Amino acid sequence: MSHATTRAPFKARADAALADRTLKLAIDRTTGTAEAKRAAALSAFPEFEAARARGKAIKDHVIAHLDHYLEEFERNAIASGARVHWAADDAEARAIVTRICLEADARLVTRAKSMLGEEIGLPHALADAGIERVETDLAEHIIQLAGEAPSHIIWPAMHRTREQVADLFRTGHHPPPAAEDPASMVQSARRELRAKFLGADVGISGANFLVADTGATCTVTNEGNAELTTTPPRIHIVTAGIEKLVPSTAHAFALLRLLVRSATGGEMTQYTTFHCGPKRPGDADGPEEMHIVLVDNGRSRMLADEFRAMLRCIRCGACMNHCVVYRQIGGHAYGGTYPGPMGAVLTPVLDGLAAARDLPHACTMNGRCAEVCPVGIPLPTLLRAWRARSWREGREPGAVRAGLSLWARLATRPRLYRLASRIGVRGLRLFGRGGWIARLPLAGGWTAHRDLPRPEGRTFMEQYRAWQARKGAGR
Amino acid sequence: MTARDRILNAVRAGLPTPRATPDAIAAEARALLDAPEARRPALAAPGLADSFCAKAAALGTTVARLPDLAALPEAVRGYLADHGLSATLALQPAPSLAVLDWSGIERHSAIAPDEPVALGLARWGIAESGSLVIHSGPDTPILLSFLPLHHIVVLHEDRLLPHLEDYAARTAGEAPPRNAILITGPSGTTDIEGSYVRGAHGPGFLHVILIAPEARPAD
Repeated sequence: MSHATTRAPFKARADAALADRTLKLAIDRTTGTAEAKRAAALSAFPEFEAARARGKAIKDHVIAHLDHYLEEFERNAIASGARVHWAADDAEARAIVTRICLEADARLVTRAKSMLGEEIGLPHALADAGIERVETDLAEHIIQLAGEAPSHIIWPAMHRTREQVADLFRTGHHPPPAAEDPASMVQSARRELRAKFLGADVGISGANFLVADTGATCTVTNEGNAELTTTPPRIHIVTAGIEKLVPSTAHAFALLRLLVRSATGGEMTQYTTFHCGPKRPGDADGPEEMHIVLVDNGRSRMLADEFRAMLRCIRCGACMNHCVVYRQIGGHAYGGTYPGPMGAVLTPVLDGLAAARDLPHACTMNGRCAEVCPVGIPLPTLLRAWRARSWREGREPGAVRAGLSLWARLATRPRLYRLASRIGVRGLRLFGRGGWIARLPLAGGWTAHRDLPRPEGRTFMEQYRAWQARKGAGR
Repeated sequence: MTARDRILNAVRAGLPTPRATPDAIAAEARALLDAPEARRPALAAPGLADSFCAKAAALGTTVARLPDLAALPEAVRGYLADHGLSATLALQPAPSLAVLDWSGIERHSAIAPDEPVALGLARWGIAESGSLVIHSGPDTPILLSFLPLHHIVVLHEDRLLPHLEDYAARTAGEAPPRNAILITGPSGTTDIEGSYVRGAHGPGFLHVILIAPEARPAD
């Protein structure tokens, strides 16, 4: 899958993002709010740690019995009147959805935000089939007007400031918004999309959960766009990853408490909706057909390797909101469907390590992502596993390999290592001005963006020896 | 081989053999739900109605409490007047609502795309989160809860459940409706710079009318 992967190499994209001050402003405004609201939500939920441990256990249980739950879900979904389709990869998923739309002579398709839809390249597939697609989530509507991909899994238009959104709506809305504050712009989008909701032939949604014992799919939104997408059209299509299963509605609720607090800092999304089959006989409204496309696309492969823990991910986005790298470069620089720490683990699965080798390196290993993950995914460990695999497969560049080999030779010879450290520390002092090193030969990549503290003069081992000697003398 | 078989085979290839029995899996799943009180938030107030009201108010939902259903039309007239709305209402076609004295209010069951006000019944309320539960059905159109700008929901106090799991337990074993919706506050978005705006696509105003328990007519 490479439709979302922009062609420029990661470092070029990251450089461009770092130079974009408006982007930094936009990212700071939303991630700052998200971080503060999550912290407040957790302080009001002292049971969070216990809930997180159980959420992790529920996901592990489902993954360990995934074959059982897939079959149970399929059985119950079919009993509810839904049609269940299976797609081994993105191409199969695109073909299934496009075929359903074309067989229904669909001209207009509304879509409620689904990261899986992005992952399988649904927007492009619908366009290629000549079907008009209307994104109904406000952020997806913004990036559809901008012709962009999402830059965050919860706030896809996070990279856009309100001023930029105003520019898009001024030309994209008829009539344009009455004013350019967020409230007026939201009102304008409400007016603009209303006829599309009611005129669509097919509504496509994702699923936050697939409930095995009822065959229902569950969506969570705050805008109400999912229900307006899934109710009026004649056909409702759900695309969902096979890892979204839960045993029952009660298990979904246990995970929902974690998901919402971790994603937006709320306690419940405004609309938590279970969709079970098509409209029943006599129902006042609802679609006549419901199709569920279960998508593997690399997930069964993860089940068998060291990335299995990543299947626990409930797509809350907390890891990226708290990531020092994401907050500097934003989502687009990652180049895949999923950005931030979880994206740096998933993109090599989806696009291959050859295309995504840089992503697991774009990490400081500060561990913040693992601390905030509501299902305890050891993200730094998984990123390290990709680095190790990249090394084993010989994908690391020659300079890196040579540098690390040299370091390894030194590190396994303590005397030599200490000597080199002593020389290095004293050498570095020569480049310092007033406590900081602003420029260093061969290290422009580091010093271009930040200063290095000037070493104090002696290595740790030297100071430790001196301290030991003083302690010995004082006894 | 079908995609289904390929996926299930690939999944099984990544899992240990022999596979657990369905009974063992079900027992493990049940155990994951034990002692839920240790892993969910406590209620905001000792009583279910007070907890529900506190949670709902925090989300911007307005709540009024009435002694009985007969007082509903007068309360609705007051709400419409307070908000400067004309006396017209999309009314859920439920028998318990149809029998009330709605004089002075024009009522219709079809919901317009830009419906100003709609009124419907909630099937359950959840005290933990201030949520309303609505099930789709012959007299419960889903669009009634999403197209209007003002959504008025009638909830009988004796339909309040403490926690989300209690709703799951009450409905377990029943045939699920096409849609079961938990509504928790008015529609909102934070998609522009994270700033919260109400009335994104769904109702910008959510007004709950709680009906005291003893006044509920026998079904």
